[in-house]
Amino acid sequence: MTQASPTTLDPITLEIISNGLRSVADEAFVALMRSAYSTNIKERRDHSTAIMDPAGRLVVQAEMSLPIHLASMTGLMASLLKKFGNDIKQGDIFVANDPHVAGGTHLPDVNMAMPIFDDGRLVAFMCNIAHHADIGGMAPGSMAGGMSEIYQEGLRIPVVKLFREGVLQDDLFELMLLNVRVPEERRGDYFAQIAACRLGERRLHELFETHGAVAIGGAFGEIIERTSERLRSAIAELPNGVYRFEDVMDDDGLGAVDIPIKVEITVKGDAIRFDFTGSAKQVKGNINLTRNATEAAVAYSLKALLDPDVPNNQGVLDVPEIVIPKGTLLDANFPAPVAARANTSQRIIDVVIGALAQACPDEAVAAANGANTTAVFSGTDPRTGRNYVYLETLGGGFGGRATHDGKDGVQVHITNTSNLPVESIETEYPLRVDAYSFVEDSGGPGRHRGGLGLKRVIRPVGHDCIFSGAGERFSHKPWGLFGGGEGGMGQFHHQGADGTLTKLANKPNDIQVAEGEAVIVETPGAGGYGPADERAEEDLARDRTSGKFSDDYLKANYRRDAAE
Amino acid sequence: MPWLIGIDVGGTFTDFYALNTADGDVRLFKRPSTPANPAEAIVLGLRDMMDATGIAPADVARLSHGTTVATNALIQRRGGKVALITTEGFRDLIEIGRQTRPHMFSLQIDSPAPLVEREHRFEIAERVLADGSVETPLEDNAIEAAVGEALGAGAEAVAVSFLFAYANPVHEAEVGAALRRATNAVPVSLSSEVQPEFREFERTSTTVLNAYLQPVMDRYLGYLESEIANLLPGLNVGIYQSSGGLMSLETARAFPVRSALSGPAAGVVGAIHTARQSGRPNIITFDLGGTSADVALIRNYDAGVSFDREVAGFPVRLPMVDIHTVGAGGGSIAWFDRDGLLKVGPISAGADPGPACYGQGGDQPTVTDANLILGRLSPGGLVGGDMPLDTELARGAFAPIAERLGFSVEHTAHGALGILVANIVRAIRTVSVEKGHDPRDYALTAFGGAGALHAGEVARSLGVTEIIVPFAPGILCAQGLIVSDLKEDFVHSARIALDGQFAAEIAPAFADLTARADEWFEAQGIDPDARALTVALDMRYIGQNFELPVVLGHGNGSGRPTLPSPDDLRERFFATHTQHYGFHNPDDAVEVVNLRLTATGALRHAAAAPKPATAGPPKPSAHRSVFFDPNAAVETPIYDRAVLSAGTEIVGPAIIEQLDATTLVHPGDTARVEDALNILITVAA
Repeated sequence: MTQASPTTLDPITLEIISNGLRSVADEAFVALMRSAYSTNIKERRDHSTAIMDPAGRLVVQAEMSLPIHLASMTGLMASLLKKFGNDIKQGDIFVANDPHVAGGTHLPDVNMAMPIFDDGRLVAFMCNIAHHADIGGMAPGSMAGGMSEIYQEGLRIPVVKLFREGVLQDDLFELMLLNVRVPEERRGDYFAQIAACRLGERRLHELFETHGAVAIGGAFGEIIERTSERLRSAIAELPNGVYRFEDVMDDDGLGAVDIPIKVEITVKGDAIRFDFTGSAKQVKGNINLTRNATEAAVAYSLKALLDPDVPNNQGVLDVPEIVIPKGTLLDANFPAPVAARANTSQRIIDVVIGALAQACPDEAVAAANGANTTAVFSGTDPRTGRNYVYLETLGGGFGGRATHDGKDGVQVHITNTSNLPVESIETEYPLRVDAYSFVEDSGGPGRHRGGLGLKRVIRPVGHDCIFSGAGERFSHKPWGLFGGGEGGMGQFHHQGADGTLTKLANKPNDIQVAEGEAVIVETPGAGGYGPADERAEEDLARDRTSGKFSDDYLKANYRRDAAE
Repeated sequence: MPWLIGIDVGGTFTDFYALNTADGDVRLFKRPSTPANPAEAIVLGLRDMMDATGIAPADVARLSHGTTVATNALIQRRGGKVALITTEGFRDLIEIGRQTRPHMFSLQIDSPAPLVEREHRFEIAERVLADGSVETPLEDNAIEAAVGEALGAGAEAVAVSFLFAYANPVHEAEVGAALRRATNAVPVSLSSEVQPEFREFERTSTTVLNAYLQPVMDRYLGYLESEIANLLPGLNVGIYQSSGGLMSLETARAFPVRSALSGPAAGVVGAIHTARQSGRPNIITFDLGGTSADVALIRNYDAGVSFDREVAGFPVRLPMVDIHTVGAGGGSIAWFDRDGLLKVGPISAGADPGPACYGQGGDQPTVTDANLILGRLSPGGLVGGDMPLDTELARGAFAPIAERLGFSVEHTAHGALGILVANIVRAIRTVSVEKGHDPRDYALTAFGGAGALHAGEVARSLGVTEIIVPFAPGILCAQGLIVSDLKEDFVHSARIALDGQFAAEIAPAFADLTARADEWFEAQGIDPDARALTVALDMRYIGQNFELPVVLGHGNGSGRPTLPSPDDLRERFFATHTQHYGFHNPDDAVEVVNLRLTATGALRHAAAAPKPATAGPPKPSAHRSVFFDPNAAVETPIYDRAVLSAGTEIVGPAIIEQLDATTLVHPGDTARVEDALNILITVAA
């Protein structure tokens, strides 16, 4: 072994520098959370922070960053460098959100980027992204369905300078604030993003002092390259071949149904290629994706299947070659609406995992609930006379796995947001939660069964309310793997005062719920893994004694007489 | 009866710290732990210590005990069989939790399964609303049915948790009474007694954990109590709790979950005691053991309290000393990750086989091996110890890594320690910088077996200029036990807006908490002038879903704390909000969600510091080559701490060895032995 040459960093120094960079990204993340105004950032932590290199490559992302934000940051940087190439000055801060011209994924996610200089030389960018609770448009929250153009979804911001050499561009900022609801809260959140950029700048300068900006710059490339190598070595362990899979989205809420997503994955040596040709044309409803969001879903799938602990940086994005025809659901043309991209991201992940299951059967999971089931209750609180909007997203079943059952009632893949306690809901809103439980029999049978969906029963108290929702896998069951059976679908029901149940649409809008009536939300379960007749006796016994499955179901799905 | 005895049970050793409050005399004692029944080592050790030191049974005033029995029972899943009785429609709530998964990218890792099987969760028709009113009354025959089912299922403990029981505990109380009528043999945990606060999942989880631990702790404490009664009749015994105070044996048996995170808390209390002796109110505690490092930030001799912690993957919402833990310790293994970067920890060689240099069959390179290679640890092992360390085995373990890096073994070992330090620095930044505190304003208090070996490098990386090394860093937890007070936390959970009605609405709750605290003081036999009450309010902006603790003044002795006016409270909330988040919004409405009262019964503590050892100028006991720099060793004097008297100053490079720890003094740094025999190291600029 030869002595490491002075120009390359040894693995010890690199680990120490990389540890320092992770601290910078994490501290910026916490600073943004601490100084934000809105609950969405402070409590649900719907934000991310990162350090990018001068070429716009993602070097380090804060540990708690969200998978969907990964590609949005690189998308912003690509647009920024293209537009401002040699007009990037110390003290500038760039802002952007538009999916069609500025690399975003949907309008509420607003990106910021601040160039960091050392001795007049551009060394890095401090970037962050935050989901704003409202960005204008037709409906409060800027996430509602039923719209067919991005103009209706909110304010579009191309890449522009919010600060020029340290000076806030007041006229621009006023314009941004005038176009949103609750502008004071937005102002606070924007300043939290600005503070996070500036904190990152100070911390990076401290690191430059300790290690030298040249060494840090060198570390960037090395970190990215090592991550790529690490992921490539995992791909090299997959058998060469062409793997295909196809699935459908239920509907777009505006008439299109059974919308296909199709992938052909080619593994050759340490290279991997994803071809989404054959997927649906873009749709009228808001479930479209721009290219960056599709890339983020692919990156998530690769990381989750092959190496969950691989650092989240450009090195991951560099590895796959991704082919997506323009004008499709997965790379929609302007002016397609995109607000509800998360449901489609979930389905891309299902499709990628479904295809690669043949290549890595031990890591693959059967289809999970494949959704981001959303329920929105709104009305006028009879106690205060004020309007309220209560929005929740519910988890469901997780797919069966090679070594164990799928988890019951949990957020899956691209999302991991928490529920609101029943004791908070009933205290803050004029609503009553009558039940919160698993959906019996909704986990697909298998050697390792799929997880169960969730059920919530909610009713208005002392007033009539309005219900809207968005469900996926409400028309198509989550599939099983390697002989495992399908899981149950989700559904929305209206329950009348006399107990009669009326099934609602998959994406219902403006449903009246009177006092004494209720809404029953049931989310999808998940598919099973492996043939049902290989299920271990003790697992089957647990299915029975736990009461998660009925005797009829067990009899119908498992060959042995389960009721014994 | 001048002697106080602290007993801290660790995985390997059970430590005894005895203090004579009359003359400040200190006796330290250690014996191997007996994991199968930890009480054995306690009883045997107590007997041996009293024999060896001549402490007469009649001279022992109190025994304070820190136990990991609850923690270990959780980690090893050795608790009792639990049944849960809960509100109709909600038996799955304990399993759904917050519907999140513990690892964003792993398809395989789940949150742990609940400690109560689904078929042992029994629903009962009843419903209390947010305001405490009863919507669905509890019927007697329903109680009877649920009690019959729970006991019929063979439960060894029963947890009862109903929605909104914190607002109105009447239904839980009725079911609890019915269970106790039915049998004395099965302990009962009511959520309204274990943790009467809103957020049903966290409250139910804490209650189920408590029930799960009851059978185990009942057996353990029962045995301990009877054995100690034989040895030291009539002795007062205190059990350590996670909030950093002692509780009675009776309380510990009713609420075992309170001891589940108590281990590191005692060390923090010991470090605060040391900080007082040094007159340094602001410290960062740094406890480095075999597998993990615990760090905490102390302001004005006060440890922060956290309410949201996990034990063995389960949320526990109880007051706990705010400690951040990372997997970095003497046993941490150096390894190459898949991207070729060198990592240290969190995998640990543990106690068995332990680091390679122990010669017990370990062949992985660890932090302890690196310290030995660099001359920082003595090949003779710890002072007075009988376990020499094998440098050749340590070098052999590091050789493959060194070869892959193309570095010398010393350079590699030095690099591994650099990575360990970077991990610890990151943890300290989490408790300081990320919470708005500049570590440069704090002294670093280094303890645990290995804290003082690495404190110099940790301090330099953070810009910290002072390091305190306590008198007995390896058994600071046992010392912390005897300087702790009796403590009990009371909480009333209710949303009360800061408006015109505030004073009238909060008064009954406050009176109720104060009355309960008085009852507790009486029951514990605490003198009126030793009583103290601290009031804290969890407050938030209306509409937000996270609250901040606003700590109000203390009321000492017979003086009673009073609640400030709503305007004053609002100002205090704004100040707290600004401290935590950097801003506040003066126009938004504010509310209180929890009212907390902490009762402290001061116990008799050390009057005097440990006596200084024999005086005299410091003479090194030996010299050896030590690598401070990766490429060059320097001849370094070694001192025996036992002979260093107060006032001694040593300029580094130097190594100070003692029974339970090794202190590294870097070149140019100055170590001074303080009056209380703690060492204060001033880091060279």
